[in-house]
Amino acid sequence: MKLVAIVGTNADFSYNRILLQYMKWHFRMAADIEILEVKQLPPFNEDLPDSEQTEVWRFNTKINNADGVIIATPEYDHSIPAALKSGLEWLSFNRDTMKEKPVMIVGVSYGTQGTSRAQQQLRQMLLSPDLNSDVLPGNEVLIGNAAKVFDKNGFVTDINIVHNLETSFTAFNKFVKSNMRYLERGDDNMTEPHISSDAKIQFRTGSLSIKEIQQIFNTLPFEIDFIDANDEFSYFSDKPNREHVRHTAEIGEPVQQCHPPKVWPIVKSIFDSFKLGTQDHVERCLPLNGHKVWINYFAVRDENGKYLGTMEFTGNVGHLVTLVKEGKFDGFPEGADATTGASKHDDAEPEQPAGPAMNAQADATTGASEHSDEDEDKTE
Amino acid sequence: MKIEAIVGSNKKLSYNRKLLQFISKHFTDDEIHINEIKDIPMFNENYPAGEDDHDPELITELAKRIEDADAVIIGCPEYNHSVPSALKSVIEWLSYRIHPLGGKPVMIVGASIHPQGSSRSQTHLREILDSPGVNAEVFPGNEFFLGTAKKAFDENGDLINQGTVGFLEQCFDGFRIYADEIHKFK
Ligand SMILES: Cc1cc2nc3c(=O)[nH]c(=O)nc-3n(C[C@H](O)[C@H](O)[C@H](O)COP(=O)(O)O)c2cc1C
Ligand SMILES: Cc1cc2nc3c(=O)[nH]c(=O)nc-3n(C[C@H](O)[C@H](O)[C@H](O)COP(=O)(O)O)c2cc1C
Repeated sequence: MKLVAIVGTNADFSYNRILLQYMKWHFRMAADIEILEVKQLPPFNEDLPDSEQTEVWRFNTKINNADGVIIATPEYDHSIPAALKSGLEWLSFNRDTMKEKPVMIVGVSYGTQGTSRAQQQLRQMLLSPDLNSDVLPGNEVLIGNAAKVFDKNGFVTDINIVHNLETSFTAFNKFVKSNMRYLERGDDNMTEPHISSDAKIQFRTGSLSIKEIQQIFNTLPFEIDFIDANDEFSYFSDKPNREHVRHTAEIGEPVQQCHPPKVWPIVKSIFDSFKLGTQDHVERCLPLNGHKVWINYFAVRDENGKYLGTMEFTGNVGHLVTLVKEGKFDGFPEGADATTGASKHDDAEPEQPAGPAMNAQADATTGASEHSDEDEDKTE
Repeated sequence: MKIEAIVGSNKKLSYNRKLLQFISKHFTDDEIHINEIKDIPMFNENYPAGEDDHDPELITELAKRIEDADAVIIGCPEYNHSVPSALKSVIEWLSYRIHPLGGKPVMIVGASIHPQGSSRSQTHLREILDSPGVNAEVFPGNEFFLGTAKKAFDENGDLINQGTVGFLEQCFDGFRIYADEIHKFK
């Protein structure tokens, strides 16, 4: 189970943040909990241009891909802090991220009330039509006297509070698993293809079973994503340790939603050029997750050249770079692939097919590399 | 009365701003000054980062004007059945190092594009203004909601419905008496 936990304050030091760190640790066997900070977000403003909403997009995507959300709210003036409210406004503005999303509320306050009034208001907000969340009923976690609750290592010192957290979290775990979104998404269903996995598919050049195809894709040292001709994200290979982590919840989504707003125009221009046929391949080299990552977009076409979709082909090529550095290819003929003879071009740039718009191709390729490192880096 | 009005929206086109503009134009016996919040930074305990503790200048100025005023009117939009973060943030500043709303008579009005006209956010705002850190004297009853705000104003920015104007006048009369009583009591 994948959960995100929102720290409901922008304060540098926060007991609510300490509580979430404790929950992440304490419930690590039951759930993978990622902690999100509202202080990363710009203050909500309807007039803020899309180009300044990259962090909002990122926040939204993380929540979209989670099975449930834990919110730790402080209490400011008997309500939730503006910084948290602003985050909720972003999540409801032209989006239905929180719709039917299971939510658990917890809160720590300095005084004795343990954020009871803020939680009451937060529940009402989450149930408003624009948010429309599935808030876990009952199971209140109201922690007062914050300064006495945690020891210096961030452990909760009061056994009654530990029990309260455990009971509520167990209820939430059950609640998440009975949630419609979770059931429909059904990660378990997706691990096996729907038709018999022994069924053979006959290709012109031989045959493979569905299971074999699946495992070939998953075993390739490169990860594959496929965006179909309608610009919907329709498949990703289930390779372990992917550079770009994808989620089955994203399958079927318009590909625009999988990119930060700032980057989307560049990605769109690549798809457009593939559809027009002005180019077939765009590549980029990026440092990602501490790896040397080679990212490729290929236009996939039928025998008649009709666009079927785009394949993203991405992998860590650190090993290849090492082989080159070690001189493993020294003395080989330049520009030809001696082993397979697949590429007969003597041209130093065999990737650039001849075409009517060589200059436009060059532009588009440069454009793609402007898709800057920092953007890509944080997308994971 | 000398009244400081606060536009609770940070939007360019705001119906709550229009409502307060109408109010300041309509009640000529009162001196009503309209305050904008859109350039006030988000409340943060650690603002400004790494420097000496102090409030943003815009907050200091707003607090000064509130202290010098007889009363405050807040035009409160509704976001997710509650108070917009932009307005909540201002109240947090005004309840942190300084407390200029303490003991101050406050009237809440609100406009929404939906028929319920900010009723739920006004309830939340009352709870917030009642909390000990803010401690305002909120004018009870007299709930002025302007629903379906898109159709409520004519091209001069005047409220079209005379019944609505009448109710607003009634609320205002009550508010003057209430504010007087509060000041006598102090
Ligand atoms: C502007 C402001 C308003 C506050 N109002 C309340 C309140 O209404 N009730 C309460 O119990 N604590 C209130 N507090 C105190 C908080 O409980 C305390 O700061 C707590 O540590 C906040 O949670 P955190 O440590 O996660 O930031 C307020 C603090 C601030 C800065
Ligand atoms: C994030 C968001 C949430 C909203 N939620 C509500 C709501 O719960 N109830 C409501 O009546 N209107 C809601 N609205 C619509 C507002 O009433 C509308 O935007 C109104 O114009 C806001 O006041 P203003 O014009 O003064 O900015 C919401 C608007 C936004 C942007």
